[in-house]
Amino acid sequence: MNFTSFNFLIFFPLLVILYYATPAKYRYITLLIASYFFYINIKPVFALITAGVTLSTYLFTSLMGRTNTGPWKKRFMVINIILILLPLFFFKYFNNINAGIFALLELFHLKWPLPKIKLFLPIGISFYTFMAIGYTVDVYNEEIESEKNIGILALFVSFFPSILSGPIERAKNMLPQFKAQINLDYNMVSQGLKFMLWGYFMKLVVADRLGIYVDAIYGNIYQHNGTSLLFASFLYPFQEYADFGGYSLIAIGTARILGINVMQNFNRPFLATSMSEFWRRWHISLISWLTDYVYTPLSFSFRKYKVWGIVIALMITFFISGIWHGAALTFVVWGLMQGLFLSIEALTNKEKSIFEKKHNLSKKSWYISIGVCFTFLLFAASEVFARTTNINDAFTVYRRIFTVSGTLFIGRLSILIYGIFGLSILLLKDLRDEFAPSWFLLFENKHKFVRVIAYSSIIILILLIGVFDGGQFIYYQF
Amino acid sequence: MIKKIVFNIAIVFLVVFVLDFAIGRTLQHFYFKEKSGACFQITYSMETTKADILVFGASTARHHYVPEVFEGTLEGTFYNTGQNALGIFFQLAMLESVLKRYTPRVIILDAEDSFEKEKSSYERLSCLLPYYREHKEIRKIVELRSPFERVKMISKIYPFNSHVLTVLGMNLNIIKGDELYNKGYVPLDGQWENKIYPTDTYAAYMVDPNKVIAFKEFIVRAKKSGASIFVVYPPILQELNIRQEIEIRREICLNEKVPFWDFSSNVLFYNNKGLFVDMVHLNHDGAMLFSKLIAAKIKDAINKRMP
Repeated sequence: MNFTSFNFLIFFPLLVILYYATPAKYRYITLLIASYFFYINIKPVFALITAGVTLSTYLFTSLMGRTNTGPWKKRFMVINIILILLPLFFFKYFNNINAGIFALLELFHLKWPLPKIKLFLPIGISFYTFMAIGYTVDVYNEEIESEKNIGILALFVSFFPSILSGPIERAKNMLPQFKAQINLDYNMVSQGLKFMLWGYFMKLVVADRLGIYVDAIYGNIYQHNGTSLLFASFLYPFQEYADFGGYSLIAIGTARILGINVMQNFNRPFLATSMSEFWRRWHISLISWLTDYVYTPLSFSFRKYKVWGIVIALMITFFISGIWHGAALTFVVWGLMQGLFLSIEALTNKEKSIFEKKHNLSKKSWYISIGVCFTFLLFAASEVFARTTNINDAFTVYRRIFTVSGTLFIGRLSILIYGIFGLSILLLKDLRDEFAPSWFLLFENKHKFVRVIAYSSIIILILLIGVFDGGQFIYYQF
Repeated sequence: MIKKIVFNIAIVFLVVFVLDFAIGRTLQHFYFKEKSGACFQITYSMETTKADILVFGASTARHHYVPEVFEGTLEGTFYNTGQNALGIFFQLAMLESVLKRYTPRVIILDAEDSFEKEKSSYERLSCLLPYYREHKEIRKIVELRSPFERVKMISKIYPFNSHVLTVLGMNLNIIKGDELYNKGYVPLDGQWENKIYPTDTYAAYMVDPNKVIAFKEFIVRAKKSGASIFVVYPPILQELNIRQEIEIRREICLNEKVPFWDFSSNVLFYNNKGLFVDMVHLNHDGAMLFSKLIAAKIKDAINKRMP
């Protein structure tokens, strides 16, 4: 089951009824059962890994809670982190490590061929592993107390709206909510439904439609000219935003209907004027997790190197981010590119601020536009590595963009028209939300008639031009 | 509060229901008024054609069977129901609809589409959704997409999802399709000028049992109807990963005592770049040669059966 499956449209309303019918004290149990039911529906065996991560985390954080000081507390934390990272490493990186070892042995003329093990990556493992690590570190740092109720902790790890692709939530935000007596709240339900509706629009109308074109080009890079590859490379970041941003909104909306507030994951990223701003708007939950648990401790350790310490911390953080996305060289390059862009900004930040102040540029629309376009270009350029399956293909895309001219591949024109139409609506909404949030209100209009027509129009648009047979969410693979 | 939530949701549903009904019915009206294009060809094949010789298949069917050759050799009317990328499920649905109306004299099944288990084979059955309501005989096949198809059909727009531009374009004569004038045959121009790359001819993949069952059902239904059925595996430019596929087809045809002609290694076509536009599609010259061979074989087979 996933958010775009028909099963979910049956499952979720039934759950909402059951959830609010359960006495408030026991609602977390309903939610826990529903979360495991949701996850088991994808592949039953995956739930065992989730349960294992929960058990290990519960056991070791409980031990940490009982050990006030001393080296044992740290040992328990390290043991738990290693234990919960094991399944992630095994499923995500086993084949790559295997191939690496064989390649190394071959250098010494030692051949030891073993068949590849075909492993299915348990969906969401990267997300809930990070959540469990975050919780373990928070308990170690005494930012929160270890959770006594294993049911609440199990729900935190397996909470169905966020288990598949985040947002990567924090225990200190979620655990109190799961324990609180939540009552049905009209505003929460109303907001949740709006988020879900817009999320479905982003996913079905924009992401999956653009995906048809992008897949057609990137699925056959050697047959397409530079113009088509360039166009597809510009479309891919929008596809990814609509896909992952759409997923996140559905997840946030689903949680909100259940009375739970989940953190925002995207904030109009393509209106960022610099890469540092971009990364405060794109996959916010991952970046804030990495900032708290990787970047901040690292930059503290390297503080004696001053600005170069920041550069080293940035490079390592985004290297980890790349590896987290996938066990491939393409993701390493992708991560290092982000680190490089941010490092350059960190190194030139002072001069840039002086220049902007001197010429009073920061509020000039042309300057903002240039910043927005340049940031998009940098991100789109790095996304070539995220979209291609290997490093050779990524360089082939670049080479063909600069060397093979030709007319744009259109394919079925209707696909492009629907996709660009949907994308225009999405970008116009983002522009309005950013620069004129009180203009042209539809979902938030004070007249009920306008709101009803706005919701209905989005549903009709989804029915008319949404892609119902589209692929899974892009971030499921991570 | 619950009342307020339910009431507001009900209002939105009501408006959506009215809009869905109005837009869906309008789309349905204009969809069936199309006079050319791929959708029209499906409608024509399912609801109108009474051709003596019918070709079923995917893209190779569409591009390989020249109407004039069959009409001349077999002395009868001809129509090609082949549709790009639509495999055995679609072909079986098409056959069910045709047989509900009449029995063609000759049925040719161009069985090139893969038996590999692929989600897309089911997704592509969406092209049959506009016919779901009126054609009960295809419902079982359409429901292979998902068990909820019947529920989804409550929406009047759903069957015409993604059709809005084509319906507009066809009815306003902005888009033109020429399938009607070629009796379903679409000739291809050009020759394969690129290198022939070696392929892994024995790569393992999972066979979809539903496809094998559908293939068998197609043959049994066509045979039972009294039509003369011939199964053809089309020529290819170079050996592909198809041996397993061909053997499955051969065995079923042998059991059902239906002629199965495998052209995949035919010397006239194999490695003959001048007759192909890509690895599997013949150009018009190739299609002419192929059509002549098939038409002559069918004529021979029919003559031999005659007392």
